[in-house]
Amino acid sequence: MTHPSVPPVRVRLFAGLRERAGWGERLIHLDARPGAQRTTAADLWGQLALDGAPGEENAELPATVRVAINQAFAAPDSPLAPGDEVAFLPPITGG
Amino acid sequence: MSTTSPVRPAPPIEVQLLEAPFQPLERLAAWQRSLAAEGPDATGSAAESHFIGRVRPTTATGEPLEALELEHYPGMTESQLRALAEACAALHGVGAVLVAHRVGRVRPGEAIVLVAVQADRRGPALRCVQELLEDLKHHAPFWKREWSGGRGTWVAGNTPL
Repeated sequence: MTHPSVPPVRVRLFAGLRERAGWGERLIHLDARPGAQRTTAADLWGQLALDGAPGEENAELPATVRVAINQAFAAPDSPLAPGDEVAFLPPITGG
Repeated sequence: MSTTSPVRPAPPIEVQLLEAPFQPLERLAAWQRSLAAEGPDATGSAAESHFIGRVRPTTATGEPLEALELEHYPGMTESQLRALAEACAALHGVGAVLVAHRVGRVRPGEAIVLVAVQADRRGPALRCVQELLEDLKHHAPFWKREWSGGRGTWVAGNTPL
């Protein structure tokens, strides 16, 4: 059941994670029913089967993948709010 | 009883993400001119330290490199670079910081990163450049992909210090 009045969460993937998943951005409606448990970034990783292989649904978020919520680093178990932007970041290689 | 310490203004921090090749010495000269225009008291500029990083001509496995592709997270990369520079500047008490970083396709020999720090003494200037460089390599969202033989490979980690 969707709730059109509740803004979705924007999920973003980068670099190798984006290419493995085949998409870079997706809008996801969280379970907004009263009493529903708040979805975390790590929950979304499992629900979206971002570990890659089919059958890997609900896999744990690897320690090498960092989470950003609204463009700031966040703990994987941070609960998400409607309208948040959550990004999964593979190992950073800048400079 | 109260103690007061002189309030230092926040040092000027300049962050640049560049989509085209750049000349680091020209960027440095422009930065120095802009700081000088703010007056001699604007920064403690008795010491200045710089780092220029360029793309090496080979891949991590020793193959000839055609280009390095730099992906970033628009918005977060800029804000994270600024936050890292502000934290480093505050920690070392330096006067001004410049960070310029390429994005997109960068060819061997081209500059990929420039970090410059002005301070009152050599120690803070040198330490802030080195720490900020390490910080941005690990905590500013950039991802490198090496192109060689027409194939792209995401780089798994940073090179040793």
